[in-house]
Amino acid sequence: MQYNKRNENGFSIVALEGDVDFHSSREARQVLLEIVKEKGDMLIDMSKVEYIDSSGIACLVEAFQESKTAGTKFGLVSVQGTARRVLELARLEQIFPIYSSISEIEAS
Amino acid sequence: MSDENAETLTLDSMEGIDGYLDLLAEISQDFARSKNIDLTLERSLLRIKSYLNAEAASVFLIEPEEQSLVCRFSIGPEDITGARLKYGEGIVGQSIVKDTCLMVADAENEQNFSPSIDDQSGFRTKSILCSPLSTKTEQFGAIELINKENPDGHFDERDRKILKALTSSAAMAINNSRMTQALLEQERLHRELELAAELQSSLLPSPRESDFPIHAVNQPARMVSGDFFDYLELPDGRIIFNIGDVAGKGINAALLMAKTASLFRCLGKTIHKPGHLLGAINQEICETSSRGMFITMIVGILDPLKGTLTIANAGHEPPLLRTREGEYLSFPALAPPVGIETDVSPNGIFPEANISLENGTLYIFTDGVTEGIVGAKPLGIDGFKDMLDSITDRSPTDRLNYLVDIFHKSEMPLHDDLTLMLIQQQDGEHRK
Repeated sequence: MQYNKRNENGFSIVALEGDVDFHSSREARQVLLEIVKEKGDMLIDMSKVEYIDSSGIACLVEAFQESKTAGTKFGLVSVQGTARRVLELARLEQIFPIYSSISEIEAS
Repeated sequence: MSDENAETLTLDSMEGIDGYLDLLAEISQDFARSKNIDLTLERSLLRIKSYLNAEAASVFLIEPEEQSLVCRFSIGPEDITGARLKYGEGIVGQSIVKDTCLMVADAENEQNFSPSIDDQSGFRTKSILCSPLSTKTEQFGAIELINKENPDGHFDERDRKILKALTSSAAMAINNSRMTQALLEQERLHRELELAAELQSSLLPSPRESDFPIHAVNQPARMVSGDFFDYLELPDGRIIFNIGDVAGKGINAALLMAKTASLFRCLGKTIHKPGHLLGAINQEICETSSRGMFITMIVGILDPLKGTLTIANAGHEPPLLRTREGEYLSFPALAPPVGIETDVSPNGIFPEANISLENGTLYIFTDGVTEGIVGAKPLGIDGFKDMLDSITDRSPTDRLNYLVDIFHKSEMPLHDDLTLMLIQQQDGEHRK
């Protein structure tokens, strides 16, 4: 897994890339929780995530729960392919917002 | 200060070499046989001090977490056991940092000498011989001898060579001892995991006779599992069952599995509506769950005589009903997994779905099945259906065993825990 972080319109946008699984979720967790610690609103760009397993989802859930506690915003953007299937099957769209694109958020 | 690389010397006299070899042999043998490295190290220090005629001797060990050196053993007029130096401080520190044996003839005029321990103890250091306790890859500390007790009061090259040889032997012994300790610790952890696995296994129900309507199998990918299943027979003949998959792998998933499985067994005795039962379990888990951990889970209740079920699915893989005609019906989750939010649905009750078996078979499984590698690629849902189609004539237990064997025959080890449950309507002759 690789990632890059940028700031856009007041959001910290973390673009994850590759497989977010048991091996990489620890690093992803650190990156996401660091943003929560800084009290930043967070969007996770999932457009280049090819695979996510339950460890990876746990890391998203934890970041969401911590954001909620911190009173900051959290959302996923451009979830594709297998990752979308996994999140939809688990009905996680009922837990955190999933946007099709960053422009959709700006429009809303 | 002089170090061992400054010049190459040989023993200037063969006199006393027998005594040295005896000492080296005794100390090496002691370390090889030692069951208590600390005791052997202390005893060896006494022998070295005596053989090399030093007024005092000490062993300093590195404390990596605190970046300091602590005096573990000391022999001499003042006991400095417990004294601390910063990493790199004093002749001991320099000997360790440079990984070389250092000899100081006049400590007071040596810039690297640290007087802090003398200041505290009142002892006066004049000459020093210090050799690191190190192997090729590890550094443990150093042995320091203070004040040669001979007319000129100086250690010499012979002393240096002897101390260097003795500390090498001691360092190897420390290394072996620590490796043994690490192996013992590994063995202890392994045994604890075995106990955890035994306990987990006891949480799963025992296999039932072939005409029982529910059969299931659980294969952990590692020693302990995050998957679980269970069923309880109610007095009215109905059977309440569950299957679950805790996010993640390892001991944290195994502990949450144990908690969730226990909650099901406890609450399932009094709450017989799947949506309510799942809601109650969710409420309990949410109160204490942490680090984003969650459980995808299905709770259901089966009327084995009517062949009807009601299930509540919390974010779990959709169960597959293979109908009598060989068609497949899927029952996707209507709510997210357990352990994330308490207000997932009105009143915290999970939505339910009704299923009529009508002589079909319901397969409920964890993603270890569909993501399991068969050949060189994940089985996938279509591959799973094809496999089920090919074994419809087999008994329920044979079908489960066949599927588990397929994954075991794969060259790839199990990637995830695998749990598969099969629910079948009892035929007429088994109905009571």
